Formats: sequence, C-alpha cells, structure tokens
Amino acid sequence: MGWSLATLFVSLRLLCFTAAVFEDQVGKFDWRQQFVGEVRFAVFDTNSQASKKLLVATEKNIFASINSRTGDLLWRHVDKTGPEGHIDMLLLHGQDALVVVGNGRILRSWETTIGGLNWETVLDTGSFQSAAFIGVQDLVKYVAVLKKSALSLHYLSNGHQKWVENLPESNTVQYQIVYSGGSGQVLLLGVVPNSHIVIVEYNIEDGEIMRQKSVAAPWITSLQSSCVVVGSGVLLCADLTTQSMYTFSLQSVEQTNMNQILLQTLGLEVASGFQPVLISTQPHPARPPLSEFVLQLGPDHHILLQLNDELISPLRDFNPSFLVAFATTGEKTVTAVMSPKNTTVSVDPSTCSYFLSSLQFSLSSNVGYNVVVLYLDAKACSINLYSADTGRRLLDTTIIYHKDPNGGRPAKLYVHAFLKKDDSVGYRVMVQNEDLVLSFLQQPGRVVWTREEALADVVTMEMVDLPLTGTQAELEGEFGKKADGLLAMVLKRLSSQLIVLQAWLGHLWKLFYDARKPRSQVKNEVTIETLSRDEFNLQKMMVMVTASGKLFGIDSKSGTILWSQYLENVQPNSVFKLMVQRTTAHFPHPPQCTLLIKDKNTGLASLNVFNPIFGKKSHIGVPALSRPVLQSLLLPLMDQDYAKVLLLIDDQYKVTAFPSTKNVLQQLQEMASSIFFYLVDSNQGRLSGFRLRKDLSTELIWEVVVPVETQKIVGVKGKRANEHVHSQGRVMGDRSVLYKYLNPNLLAVVTESTDTHQEHSFVGIFLIDGVTGRIVHEAVQRKARGPVHFVHSENWVVYVYWNTKSRRNEFSVLELFEGMELYNSTVFSSLDRPQPPQVLQQSYIFPSPISTLEATLTEKGITSRHLLVGLPSGAILSLPKMFLDPRRPEVASEQSREENLIPYSPEIPIRTEWFINYNQSVSRVKGIYTSPSGLESTCLVVAYGLDLYQTRVYPSKQFDVLKDDYDYVLISSVLLGLFFATMISKRLAEVKLLNRAWR
Amino acid sequence: MSSPGGPGGALSTRGGPKRNKWALELSLGSTRSRGDRQNKEGDVMYPVGYSDKPVPDTSVQETDRNLVEKRCWDVALGPLKQIPMNLFIMYMSGNTISIFPIMMVCMMAWRPIQALMSMSATFKLLESSSQQWLQGLVYLIGNLLGSALAIYKCQSMGLLPTHSSDWLAFIEPPQRLEIMGGGMVL
Repeated sequence: MGWSLATLFVSLRLLCFTAAVFEDQVGKFDWRQQFVGEVRFAVFDTNSQASKKLLVATEKNIFASINSRTGDLLWRHVDKTGPEGHIDMLLLHGQDALVVVGNGRILRSWETTIGGLNWETVLDTGSFQSAAFIGVQDLVKYVAVLKKSALSLHYLSNGHQKWVENLPESNTVQYQIVYSGGSGQVLLLGVVPNSHIVIVEYNIEDGEIMRQKSVAAPWITSLQSSCVVVGSGVLLCADLTTQSMYTFSLQSVEQTNMNQILLQTLGLEVASGFQPVLISTQPHPARPPLSEFVLQLGPDHHILLQLNDELISPLRDFNPSFLVAFATTGEKTVTAVMSPKNTTVSVDPSTCSYFLSSLQFSLSSNVGYNVVVLYLDAKACSINLYSADTGRRLLDTTIIYHKDPNGGRPAKLYVHAFLKKDDSVGYRVMVQNEDLVLSFLQQPGRVVWTREEALADVVTMEMVDLPLTGTQAELEGEFGKKADGLLAMVLKRLSSQLIVLQAWLGHLWKLFYDARKPRSQVKNEVTIETLSRDEFNLQKMMVMVTASGKLFGIDSKSGTILWSQYLENVQPNSVFKLMVQRTTAHFPHPPQCTLLIKDKNTGLASLNVFNPIFGKKSHIGVPALSRPVLQSLLLPLMDQDYAKVLLLIDDQYKVTAFPSTKNVLQQLQEMASSIFFYLVDSNQGRLSGFRLRKDLSTELIWEVVVPVETQKIVGVKGKRANEHVHSQGRVMGDRSVLYKYLNPNLLAVVTESTDTHQEHSFVGIFLIDGVTGRIVHEAVQRKARGPVHFVHSENWVVYVYWNTKSRRNEFSVLELFEGMELYNSTVFSSLDRPQPPQVLQQSYIFPSPISTLEATLTEKGITSRHLLVGLPSGAILSLPKMFLDPRRPEVASEQSREENLIPYSPEIPIRTEWFINYNQSVSRVKGIYTSPSGLESTCLVVAYGLDLYQTRVYPSKQFDVLKDDYDYVLISSVLLGLFFATMISKRLAEVKLLNRAWR
Repeated sequence: MSSPGGPGGALSTRGGPKRNKWALELSLGSTRSRGDRQNKEGDVMYPVGYSDKPVPDTSVQETDRNLVEKRCWDVALGPLKQIPMNLFIMYMSGNTISIFPIMMVCMMAWRPIQALMSMSATFKLLESSSQQWLQGLVYLIGNLLGSALAIYKCQSMGLLPTHSSDWLAFIEPPQRLEIMGGGMVL
C-alpha cells in the first residue's frame, strides 16, 4: 500500500515537472532570430554564376555565410569572445575561406558550401600583421602569414607549413605588408617610422632572402594606412603633410629614391586634416594588382586615378561621393560609387577632358575596366557603376538607395558584380550603415533583404503592453475625458457606439472577404496600425536598446521589427537605463518610455523620451542635465498626466525631477521624508543611503564601507517593482504558518575577493536594508570565486559561484522568514522592525557553468516560481524553485512530506525536458527578461545575447487555459447528445403518462 | 390491474361479472365494498346496522400508556443510540481526504442538522408522552452530540479552518511606507 502510494506520488511529481513542448508546438509560441553583429569583412563568393553565398566575419568573432537571395544564415560559427576569438583576416579562394583568428594564433580553412572545417593550424606566437595568398603562374598554392617577427608560408591544401623565417631587424622595422605579384617571389614591406621603408624579397621555394633594400621616406608613419601596391609591383603612398604621392617600383634594381608627385600638379587638394586613403584592387591573387586606384581626398570626395609608367593621370573625379568599392567579374573590374541623389555629379573642366579622353581610350581598347561610385545624402543616394580602367559610367547601372530616416548613414559598401547574358556587367550591393543595418540592393533600387545586426548586442529591454484596439480605446477615452454637459456626453456616447458598430461591421466584412481567399494568402501581417492587445495580454511590445544606440520596437508574438530609431552620437561605452514612465493603461495619454544614456567618459547624461508603441520621439521638454548623473529613481508617484516621476541624482547629490510640474513638486514635498535612495560606488567600496529633503536636496543617512583592499562589490540588486507576492507565508506540515520576511527595501549585495588565489578567494553576500542601512544578513562563501550570478525576489536570494576547492559550480539559496507571527500585517516600515528575520541557507551542486540567471514573474504571484538559467551551451533551463529550498530536509518526515518538500540531495539534476528552448540554442545568452502576461499561469520570456529568443513558460502548467488538444468535438457532441436524449426521453415520458391517464 | 386479492374460491364468481358487459346490483352498500363482501362472505346479506369491523375499545388501558412512553423514549434516544455506530464508522473511514470519508462525514453532519430542523415535528410525535420535555431534551442532546461528533471528525480530517494557515490567503500584502530605489553608480 505504502509502496504503491509512493510510486503514485513520484509519478505525479514527474508529471507536474514535465514542461517540454510537443512536436506540433514547435514555433507556435516561440521564435528565434540569429545575428552576426557588425561586419568586419564581407566577401561574395564569385566562384560560380549561381552562387548566392556571402561570407562575413564580424566584430563579434563570428564567421558566417549568408544567403544573398534571402538574407538568411546558411551557417554560422561562433568563436570565443574577446581577443582570443578575434578574426584578423578573411581571405577567400575558390571554395575555401581562410580565417586568421586570435591575433594570429590560429589559421583555419573553411569549406564554404556547408561550413565544414578543412584544416586548422596553430601558428607561432607573435602579433599578427597581415596575410596574403601567394600565387605562382596563375595558381594559388600558398598563404603567407606575416607576424611581427616572422613570416610563414602554408600550403592551401592542408595547412602544413612550407617554411617559416625570422625577419631581419624585426625589433626596429615594423613589417606590415606582404605582397606577391604571382612572379615567384614574396615581397615583404616594412617601415621604420619617419625614416625609411624596408623591402625584403623571399624565395617561395625555400624562404631564402633574395634581396633586401631600404628606401628613404622621412614622412612615413605607417604602411598599412597610407600605402598600397598598384600596377605591376609599384608601391604607392599618399601623404598629408607633404601633399603628395610617392611611387616606388619594387622590382627595379636601380631605383633608390621614391618619386614624389605633388598633388597640386594633378589639380587635387586634400581636405584639411584628412589623411588621404588609397584603395587599390587585385582581382586575382596570382596576378599583379590593377594600375587603377582610388584616392580619397576628403570624407565625401574620391578620385579614380591611373598609374602609367610612373605617371599618374586622373580618370574621373567623384565629388561628392561617400563610398567607393571595386568589384571584379570575369575580366572586368568595376567601381561602384555612392553619391547623393539630388546633386548631379559635378565635373569640372579638367576632369571633363580626362573623361572624354578616357572615353576614346575605352573605345579603342577591348578590355573595359569599370568603376562603381556611390553618393550619399540625407534622403536618398544613387549608386553608379563605372568602368575601372576608363572611368566611363556604365549605362543603366543606377541603384537608388533610400536611406531610412530613423537610421544611420551608410558606412561600408560591398559590391557583387556579375556578367549578364549579354556580357554587360550587372551588380548588387550590400550597404552597412552606421546603425549596423545590412541592406542588400539590386537594380533599380529594390531592397532584397535587410538585417538588423544591432540586435546582436542588446543592452537592456522592457516589455510594454500594447494599446487597446481603436474601439476599446474609444470607449475608454469617453470616460477618461472631462465631462462637458449632458447633451455633449450623449452625443459622444452615440458617436463612440457608432464607431464600435462600424468597426464590428468592418471586422465581419474582413472575415467574409478573407474566407474566400485561399488559406495560404491570409496572413496576419503585424503592422503598427493593426497592433492591439489580445485577450490575455500575451502579445506585447518589446523595446530593446542596443549598444550601438539603436532602439527597436519588436512585436513579441512574431518577432517583427515594428519600429527602429537610431540615436546618433552615442558613445561606444555608454550606459543605458530604460524606464517605462507611463504604461498604456492611461488612455488617451500615450505610453511613455525614457532612456537615460550616460557617456562614461564625460559622465554627462541625456534623456530620450519616446512612445514605446510607435517609436516616435516625444516632444516633452526634458530637463537639461548639466552635471554628471549618478543614478535615477522611478517613483510610484504620478503627475496629473499619469506619468511616473523620475528622479535623477547628480554628483552633488542634488535631485532633478522629471516631469517637474508644480503638481509633482508639491507631491514630492509632501512625500519627501519617505523617499530614500541608495548609491553603490564599486570603486570606493561604499554603499550610501540618502533621504530626500523638501527642497530636493538630500542628506546622507547611512553608509557601509566594504574595504576595497580585500573585496570588490560586483553587484547589487533590489526587488523588481512589478513583483507581486500572493502568499505572505508558508504553510508548515502542522498547518501553522511561517511568515515570509518580505522587505521591499531589501538589497542583495555581492562582493568578490580581490585575492584570486584558490585558497583565499571568497564570495560575500550582504543583505542590507536600503532605507536604514542595517545589515540584515551577511554570508561569506569561502574558497569560492565569481562570476557570481544572482537573483533576488520575494523573500529569497539565489546565487551561483564557482567552488575553487571542489572545482564545481554551486547554487546557494538564502531564504528569510519573519517567524510564526507577523510583526505588523498592515504596513511595512523598515524603520520599525525590531526583530531580525530568520535566515535559512542551503547549497547545491549544479553540473554546468551558467551565463545568466533570472526568475519567472507572473501577474499576481500565485503561480510557483521557476529560475531561468541561461547555459553557455545555448540552452535555457527552467529550474523549479522547489529544488532550491533551504527547508529541504535531510531525512523526509511526515510533516515535510505534508509540505511537499523534496528530501535534500546535493545535486540539482538537469533534465532535458526543462530546456524551454528545446533545440533552438541561444548563442552567448547575456540576459533573460521576464514579464507577466494577462494569464496568471503564463510568463513571457525573452533571452538576448547574440541571438534573440522569445517564448512563454508555464511554471505551474496551464491551469487557467484549456489545453491545445482539448477535445472540443467530443465534449460538444456528448453535450448535444445528452441534450437530445433529454428532449426525447421527456417526450416519451409525456406520452407514457398520457397513456396511463387514459387507462 | 390485479383485482383486490381474493382467495382461490372466488374465482368462479369473479369470472361472472367479467364476462358480462354490465351488471346491476340491487343490494345496498357501495359497489367497492360489495366486492369485498362478495369475496369474503359470498352473497350473504347483513342486517342493517351490522358492521363487520370490530368497534375499538376506547377506554385507555395502563399497558398502552406504557407502550406509548416506551415508543417516545425510543424516538428520543434514537440519536444517542446512533453515536456508537457513528464512532465505528469514523474509526473505519480514517482521516484521509477522499470521496468516501467526505461523504460519510457529510451524512453524519447532515442527519443531526436535519433532525434539529424538524424538531417541531418530533415534538408533535412526543406530544402524547408525559415526559415530553425530558424526551425532547434528550433528543436534542443526542443530535447535538451527533453533530459535535461530525465536527470533531471534520477537525481531525483538517476540514475546519482553525489554523492560521487557513486564513493565509486572505492576508493582504502590507503597504510600504517608504519609497526606495537606486543602484550602482552609472
């Protein structure tokens, strides 16, 4: 009997933890988007005409292949973060892509069709300088890798090293360029800044130094930024200070000085302070580069030049032009130029004559080199294609590029040229903007796809309820407005009812209209106009802030980007804090989000106020913040327009209120004595608490100093403002209540020791009351090391650390209880708490490292809590909080069983059915955001990192929703059957009664 | 359809009227009683004033009074007599919360309550007794004991909201008096 009960208990328990999705539920409530980040190198696979591969290597250490027809990822390799996985170079040859990773640590060859690894070699130490293909007689067989002090040659086929040579005088000479014109030698160019250029020639076969010479160049600082090799081995440099270009033939034996060509003699002038940039192209690695090159004279001025027997002649002047790129297809090389659309290309008389002469030249020559030029502007740009060797504009090659008014300016241009059937050159371009949008365009300006790569680096996010539908809002609005007379109110009511009727008819008509269309065509396109809250508030607007300063509004149901806004002038290391000042609940006032951006360098902050639903910038005047802002505080107070009050604390501990109307200031004066805030200065190890005074100045009321010599504050967390706790206590086995210590002002502060030796390192956790500064609890975990991830919610704190002694990850949970009696059940004041809480703690072993930790959140807090654990493998684990309960007994007793406590076991299992994202791994998960939905059972989850993943979790299963596979047909048929059976039997009974009465 | 039960000997006579469509009886008395008489006594005619039922003896006898008393005590003691039985059922059903113990507890609780509700009807029954008030009191006490037993059973099953945990869901979260916020220096 007992045994069978126990098995029943266990099976019930297993049942209630099973949370995996069924096969037909895949992608029903969840979606994932994969990103690659800011593109560093992009190469189009021009191997075959039908190829649609685009290879990209990014700043996020990702090497990926994008389908250039759709913009989808074909495959993606995510390398280590930081300098270890940094991609230094990407070279493509045929089907193989060569990648140098980690400052020249590893050389890899990838097969580009399926993304498989061909081979990998570990290179010698030394900082990476350059890499190039080395070709001999039209065949590319080797790749040369130039390090600071060594040059090595590897076979392309298997990565084996052919030879490695130490560089002569490598401590004084900076070798920066490796070059091979396909003529059987490897040329190495080095520089001694402000002195001379060193040229070393190696034999391909054995690495023997054939020749070595130096050329005086007192003006030079760096080869990489100012020199290129053009034509058949001519080194070409441009210099700002002397306003001239220099040429030097690398092959010639007799030349000892560089030829100086003054830019003035060409009629050119460099924009003041602009370092001229040279762009050359080498269509085939086994052949010398072209003798045509582009010189950038200013931010929006390029010129196409040709080097002919040490003479430079301009081919075409592109002014204004923002971006220029070369592309080669077959035997033809073109230049794409982006220029502003509404200004025509201004051609001054001198270039005009060149243009004419080059026209004649191209008529006489068979092989046409084309050049493509692009122009940029505020609204639209046009991209044109020019023959590279003549500068002649190719007809019908214009692509109009419409700039997103809320986006950034184009920053990079990649051209994919191909030969059309009639042997003319066609092309597509990929433009990367400052706001990291990749757009792929084809003629005459159709955007084939766009990718929002800024989303690869989400910093913070919020979820905002969608507005009610227009009709609902209309009805709500009627009550929101002020009353103005009986008749007006009646009319208003009538008109709003009319609108409701109209909307309903429209809806019916749409239903009828859609019903006639085939099913595949009826798509619920989510647009900003059709946005409305659903029945259970499961669809929300995700407002995401990215590190590049671009804001996104994403529909949580489908993942569609509904709006985006690029904030210019955001410094790369800014800190962001996003706050929802007004929700959608206060119609007709629009919802309002405020983003605080603080520039780390200057300390100055700015406020951006916008509508989170439509992404429009608000016209509300924001306070001028002349002093550096330390922290902000969103009060539950509201002004007369229902906007929550935001307090900004500057470095003199003065407070600025936003909005700062008279009403708000009055409320603040009334409430001042009960408004507290705390600041944590990690550098000085100081936690300080302040109280607001009536004149909006502050007074320091407590201070806790953590000695910085021994430990460093790594994190502090209060409770979430929108968290509700339904149950004030826990029911014990004997049916008494253990009341929770629910201090809303409690802070969890985590410190790590500065000493990282495994014997002395420790992790400290302090629970501090943020109002009084009282240390409620203090725990030190010896022989433990960070990074510490922790969650603070309800009456518990869960933290994860690395145990250096046992070499494993451990979870520890702290739970606080007030005892068997509540001290004060009506109000909570930190100032009136005589008894300290009881603290319980337990630790567990977790069999995996973790990347992030978050707790689920539901509307009323009735549903049991789960912890969402982001694992480095890309899985997101939904771990029941039940397993992390310090009251788990070592030996199960009658009472603990009554309480549903699981007997203590040190290991926390990882069950694969707890992975809420099944096989949809989220790479490099950085944060998890949870938001309650309108259903108590359901919590919305967004995981962000490199990828975005959105899903729903049901910690206590869907107790308030009928299941997906609920048998409506069976139930309704049974009901109908019973109904008819009742009717029939009633009739029969009547007949029988009548018969009996007759007898 | 069965006719008022006549013994076997009446078969032939009963068959007679059945065969005829109608019959006329010229004797006095109702047609219903006629059948009875016919069955019992055949066609014998009784003299006027004769009644075949015995006239009850209306004089009260001492033994009858004792019987009434006894009967009334039976009624009054009924609930008390049930208590041992209820105790046994309680013991057998155990304290687990499942459908059968719940049903039993409901029955146990409902019966005394029902009895107490219909107290006036019981008093009417006991009207004839001389110890009416004492019997009524005993009856009441018996029922109260029965319901007390049911309540005790509920208590031991944990169905009564007597613990603080039963009122936990109604505790409102306390109102916070201080507003606090802040964080790491940005």
